[in-house]
Amino acid sequence: MKGNFFISLRLFFERRRQSVIATLGVVIGTVAFVVMSSMINGFQKYFLEEALNINGHVKIFVESTFREDRILRKVYKEGIFLVLGAKPKSVKDRISNYREILSKYAKDENLLGITLHLVGNGVISYGVKEKPATFVGIFPELENETLKISKYLVKNNLGQLERNKEAVILGIKLAEELGIKDIGKKVILLSPNGTLHRLKVVDFLNTGITEIDKSRVYLHIKKLQDILGKPNEVNEVILKLKSADLAPVYAKRLTKETGYRAESWQESFKNFLSIFKIQRIITRSVVFAILLVSGFGIFNIIMMTVLEKKRDIAILKAMGYEKRDIIFIFSLQGIIIGVFGGLAGNLLSFEILEWLETIKIGVEGIIRAEGFLLDRSISYHLQGFIFAVLVSFLASFYPAYRASRFHPVEVFRSGS
Amino acid sequence: MEADTVLKAENIKKLIGNYEILKGINFSVKKGEFVSIVGASGSGKSTLLYILGLLDTPTEGKIFLENREVDFSQEKKLAALRNRKFGFIFQFHYLIPEFTALENVMIPMLKVGVDLKRAKEKAEYLLERLGLKDKILRKPYQLSGGEQQRVAIARALANDPILLLADEPTGNLDSVNTQKVMEIFQELNSEGTTIVMVTHERELTRMTHRVVEIKDGEIVKETTPA
Ligand SMILES: Nc1ncnc2c1ncn2[C@@H]1O[C@H](COP(=O)(O)OP(=O)(O)OP(=O)(O)O)[C@@H](O)[C@H]1O
Ligand SMILES: [Mg+2]
Repeated sequence: MKGNFFISLRLFFERRRQSVIATLGVVIGTVAFVVMSSMINGFQKYFLEEALNINGHVKIFVESTFREDRILRKVYKEGIFLVLGAKPKSVKDRISNYREILSKYAKDENLLGITLHLVGNGVISYGVKEKPATFVGIFPELENETLKISKYLVKNNLGQLERNKEAVILGIKLAEELGIKDIGKKVILLSPNGTLHRLKVVDFLNTGITEIDKSRVYLHIKKLQDILGKPNEVNEVILKLKSADLAPVYAKRLTKETGYRAESWQESFKNFLSIFKIQRIITRSVVFAILLVSGFGIFNIIMMTVLEKKRDIAILKAMGYEKRDIIFIFSLQGIIIGVFGGLAGNLLSFEILEWLETIKIGVEGIIRAEGFLLDRSISYHLQGFIFAVLVSFLASFYPAYRASRFHPVEVFRSGS
Repeated sequence: MEADTVLKAENIKKLIGNYEILKGINFSVKKGEFVSIVGASGSGKSTLLYILGLLDTPTEGKIFLENREVDFSQEKKLAALRNRKFGFIFQFHYLIPEFTALENVMIPMLKVGVDLKRAKEKAEYLLERLGLKDKILRKPYQLSGGEQQRVAIARALANDPILLLADEPTGNLDSVNTQKVMEIFQELNSEGTTIVMVTHERELTRMTHRVVEIKDGEIVKETTPA
């Protein structure tokens, strides 16, 4: 055993050129794996973390149940009806038992917090510019306890909502599009009822998630209730759980228990999650292809070594080395290549990630960032290393096996 | 069977396809003997030596090693026997090019599990005996043909074999080096090493105890040189 180690290591270090080339292949594969995993997961994790921070895990809301044939249905249980000229009517659009929900679930062991919203759509204008927006009426303190919204406020002026009835917080992209660069500006809110309201911008919301920053407007819930003419109404209850993974279970349970529709974040972000999944599949395919190529490189190099060393293998066997010794000697070469390549690849990708972190470039897409969003989890390094060793071992195994089957007499007869 | 028989071959036949290379060879070697096998090219000398050295399997017949029959079905045991009981020397040295002379000689010892330090000491000792004291750290390509063959002899002696099997060990050497190798064999033999050597150089057989002549896969003559 020790002898096999000795022979294998000596061969590895004596055949420097091949060893270095094979190892380089593994280095490239490992770097690709670690850096790409870190980038893609960094981006996805960042997005979800920020999105969940600001949106919570489960949303209870009023689902529009308006059906044109609902009156006919009361009389005729069966049949197909075609209703012409129906006009959408104001239907049940608030959560009337939110107090019950609050008191019932506040003590739940998996719950970190509950907050209440009144949400409505409207238009906001500044000077001649107008933009549609989503108005969210909040209890500022409750909102902050539950969703840590102040973390994303540029001027940290959440308290102003409480003190100043006219105060409003604008998503930073929305403000930009309206041409507002500073707080203190007056904007006009146009409600769906057609009423106009003058408000004063006290802060900007900057989550980095373009969709939110472009549409969201926060007001005190009382103010929004006034504007919309819905006193004391709430139409959204947001839950923050101890673990994001619990959301689907809670959503199901809450739908059943509250009588309203409860939606988990997984459902709300279904589109994003499926895009992320595709991104991960693409990344993995690319990394897999790279690993395959480096594996093939190792396969080639060990195969060549083995064929070139036919006579040496024959003499080893003549001197009493067994099949498994030969397999060991040559697949250990693969493992050594994997270990060195994996270590060097990890070191190099660590350096590359460090460097990428210092790069400042404006990224603007579904998220905005000042540079690469990297997930620096050690697990990618570990996985990269394990893959490197595994691929190298597998790639060297067949050549090693072939080598073990050489028959010394045949080699001596054919060999000069 | 006599107690001092190292190796005995009984009715060894080797068929490849329909061609009978060996046609029933009976042959034995006693402890301390130096036997040479001669014959024309293609007469089956190498084939016989491979079977005697347990590198190849006979189609028929038995081999007794130190009076125990060899079971050719057990590959692992054959490997162990080759490692501990035999030393092989071929026409070509078959040294591993990446390894130094010293390391090449260490290889058979490492298989038995001798630790590196002891293997190194013994390899040094053997190479010194063969006159390669100041060349132990050279790679094969840095050695002359005669020196390479002497390293191969040192390697064959590494595990103190009971039998040294040599297939045309001087086939690739000039007369000076041939002489040197033969002197080494004689010296080893006088110290008790048993040797079987295949050669087609008649004059070399004069230095051996017994000459076995093979023709077309059969032993046709056994003589004792004067
Ligand atoms: N694998 C094989 N297939 C077919 N024929 C073979 C095979 N191996 C050996 N032979 C034949 O067996 C015969 C004996 O071969 P062997 O190598 O033993 O001869 P040799 O006496 O050592 O000859 P030389 O002096 O040339 O080395 C030869 O005719 C050779 O062609
Ligand atoms: Mg021959």
